[in-house]
Amino acid sequence: MFRLLEESGFARVRSAVVPRFAFRKASTQNSAEAFGVKAVMMTAQKPETA
Amino acid sequence: MPDAIDAQASLEGVLKDEILRMYQEVADNPEAEFHFFHGREAAELFDYDRDALDRAPEGAVASFAGVGNPHLRASIQAGETVLDLGSGAGLDAIIASWSTGPSGTVIGVDLNPAMCIKAQAHAALTGSVMECHAGRMEEIPVPSESVDVVISNGVINLSFQKRRVVEEVFRVLRPGGRISITDIVSGKQLSQSIVNDPKLWAS
Repeated sequence: MFRLLEESGFARVRSAVVPRFAFRKASTQNSAEAFGVKAVMMTAQKPETA
Repeated sequence: MPDAIDAQASLEGVLKDEILRMYQEVADNPEAEFHFFHGREAAELFDYDRDALDRAPEGAVASFAGVGNPHLRASIQAGETVLDLGSGAGLDAIIASWSTGPSGTVIGVDLNPAMCIKAQAHAALTGSVMECHAGRMEEIPVPSESVDVVISNGVINLSFQKRRVVEEVFRVLRPGGRISITDIVSGKQLSQSIVNDPKLWAS
């Protein structure tokens, strides 16, 4: 997603992991962790000159 | 090649139906247990302002199914136009409307027309006015360069065409406009069996 934002022309792209995000069920959470699944906060700006 | 394209279109159709079913179920039966946290429990987990949750309509809070808190970095100002992509039952749009004030505009977009009606009803309970358009995030039904801030919470990951969604977000933003989005990402390539499973994808 970070790369998609940059490639689409966004500037000042920032991302941070959302703390405390988790799936309710342990089995789902374990599978998610195995695939590196996480929630992230992304901010970016459309350039003034776009 | 046409077979592959047909298969993709078929899978997208099934996925759309599953997404509609899943999130309609959260809205209709918020007391049910899902494999993701939802409702007030989830909102508090993500540091939503408790006074805002008390002030928001109970139905909007109970149906909340976000994965984070886009308001923490959105810095929405009075008079701004905000687009909530995948507005669901309306909690994020309603909170945004309290920042824009009456001189601003909040627009929701949701795949499910029934959710748009529900979100607008929730907004009306708080005295807020919210536009809501039923439509796809791959073809956002909003004019180009008409929005100051796009917020979204756990929605873009549901699309097969994420690049297209990001391009659409870029299109609707005014120059200098900004996004504050929370969503799910994967650090590894998902197996084809997961990609082809609408229930897992819609999760």
